[in-house]
Amino acid sequence: MTGRDPDPEDQAGEKGKNPDDDIIRIEKITKVFQNARTVVAVDDVSFTVRRGEIFGLLGPNGAGKSTLIRILTTLMKPTSGTASIESYDVTRDPEKIRARIGVCPQNSTLDLELSAYDNLDFYGRLQNVDDATLEARIPDLLAMVDLSDRAEARVSTFSGGMRRKLEIVRAFIHRPSILFLDEPTIGLDPESRREVWKQITHLNAEETTIILTTHYMDEAEKLCHRLAFMDQGRLISLDTPENLKRAMPGGDLIEIGFDELKEGILPALQAHPSVVSVEVKDQKLLISAHAGSSLLPQILADFSRLGTPVRSVSIRSPSLEDVFIYLTGKKLGDPGVSGALSPEGGS
Amino acid sequence: MIRGALAIFRRDMKKFISNPFVMFITLAMPIMYLIIFGNAIGGTITGIPLGVVQEEPYTSPTPLYEAGLDALTGFHQPGNPALFAVTVYSDENIAREALATGRLMGYVVFPSDLVPGRPVRLYVDSSEYTIPALIQSGVAAVLVQVQAENPLFVNNIYGTVEYLQFFGVGVIVMAIFMTTMMGGGIALIRDRELGITEGYLVTPVKRSSIILGTIGSGTVRAFLAGFLIFAVNIIIAGVLVKGAASFALVLLVLLMTSIGVTSLVVALSSRFSNQQEYASTIAFFNLLLFMTSGAFYPVIGIPGWLSWITVINPEYYAVHALRSIILRGQGINVIGTDLIALAIFSLGAIALGIMTYRRTLE
Repeated sequence: MTGRDPDPEDQAGEKGKNPDDDIIRIEKITKVFQNARTVVAVDDVSFTVRRGEIFGLLGPNGAGKSTLIRILTTLMKPTSGTASIESYDVTRDPEKIRARIGVCPQNSTLDLELSAYDNLDFYGRLQNVDDATLEARIPDLLAMVDLSDRAEARVSTFSGGMRRKLEIVRAFIHRPSILFLDEPTIGLDPESRREVWKQITHLNAEETTIILTTHYMDEAEKLCHRLAFMDQGRLISLDTPENLKRAMPGGDLIEIGFDELKEGILPALQAHPSVVSVEVKDQKLLISAHAGSSLLPQILADFSRLGTPVRSVSIRSPSLEDVFIYLTGKKLGDPGVSGALSPEGGS
Repeated sequence: MIRGALAIFRRDMKKFISNPFVMFITLAMPIMYLIIFGNAIGGTITGIPLGVVQEEPYTSPTPLYEAGLDALTGFHQPGNPALFAVTVYSDENIAREALATGRLMGYVVFPSDLVPGRPVRLYVDSSEYTIPALIQSGVAAVLVQVQAENPLFVNNIYGTVEYLQFFGVGVIVMAIFMTTMMGGGIALIRDRELGITEGYLVTPVKRSSIILGTIGSGTVRAFLAGFLIFAVNIIIAGVLVKGAASFALVLLVLLMTSIGVTSLVVALSSRFSNQQEYASTIAFFNLLLFMTSGAFYPVIGIPGWLSWITVINPEYYAVHALRSIILRGQGINVIGTDLIALAIFSLGAIALGIMTYRRTLE
């Protein structure tokens, strides 16, 4: 019952052993479900999460994201491998971990029969937050998500967006050092999604490490400092969004519309060292090139030198979706993209 | 309309067939009803503990006493074991004490032969159902059998107890069980079904806290229900509680019963993840425990193979304790065993509930 009291063991010792301040370490975690058939939901995954970052776990449904989150949040035991949070092992010290994490699971776990205030109050008490602190913090949290005027209303009367926001601040009631958000914006309208993003950024600014899973690329790109791609239980790639995109062999994609293609333009374009490939398609030139924005003036110069009028120009960086397709050979949003649907039904 | 009805029908049947547990319980329930109802109620009552004593001043056993004792010991309905389990007492005061503390259901006092024609006195625990009548008719038949001229003087030591009063006490226990079924356990299962558990399993809350908290809230509700029926009993059945001490004792028994039964139900629910399975199981337990508790019919009439259940049945102890206080005006000396049994049962159920509760999602 002492849960959150800082014991001396926390303060000294263990933490000092993390020179690079990795708040989560995952080593060779595997999770196998033995039901009617054997499903490897998480397959030999290792990575670390740094203190204070927003870390994204990306992948299609059934990639093993939620299972990994459940292992980290002590709801499931790994079949093999180890994971530690703040130097506490998930299987040996689950109680220590539970006092340090906040979790917003994929499916709503709010008690619909209780008011917004009572939901927060209930979790605050389970987290051993003392009465005085709780009394001060609950109105703050409700104000943070614009639910102050609905404090005493039953959650069953709330919209999906309101429930989600309430659940996110509920996970934060005990000021955890790590916040796990499993698909925080699934099923929300664009307005609500933006508000949830605002909350996530806001909580991160208060030095909370945030782990979020999503299969929305824009969300990952907007919020996350680093991203891990998962597919069929395996970790495919891990880096910052920029580096992931930079790792694409094609780099940026430049599209130039034309009426008539003069001879000599293709060789001229291919002569640029940063150009990877040039393709003609439907009155358009598709140029893949590294550092596309700095190359574009030179390409336009080539066109005017050879007397080819340019009808349109567009340049775009590869999206994370492009990266994912490149890495796995399949689209992220595809249902059944992975054969391994994990038993919990979600991702 | 037909197509829609068929769609609903097909869906429900698919669910029914795909859940073997519920299917089994659904089909087994009527059979269990038949077996348990049939055996626990209306069974042949034999072996009624009866005391026999000869009146003071005692010189030597009278012929009437000897013939009577012999006839009572051997008295039986055709094809059944002896109706009475006879114990001989040398002192009427000891027999009275044994009756007052529930060790005897009645005792017969045969007159000394100083004055002929003095009545044979019969003292009966009148708080039980059918047993007083059986004793009375049995003793009367024996007197006819031994051709005694003496009149039979019957003393119902707890006055006339109506069946409503006898049964009403049992209903208090049933109210507690029914409330627990709706209250205590279902909350845990609803949380699990709705996925709310996943929310609080990631907090540092302990298994024991979850179980004790659930038992606590269930106990309060069960206690209130039990108390309500107790109050109704006083008004409608006209039972009387003699004094504040007895009243306090009733409340204590209600509380201990509520804790015991709630703990049992919560312990059972700690593993279920489906309301239907849980409700079927609890309905089964409810039947089994209530029928063998003695609430309807004297436990003495339950056949041996079924009566072992009464030994581990908290409702049996609860019914016995409540009847002792309410109908017989007995005190802690008589119901002490019941309270100890209820306490042991509660502790066992709480421990079972905590041990079987899953702290993870697996």
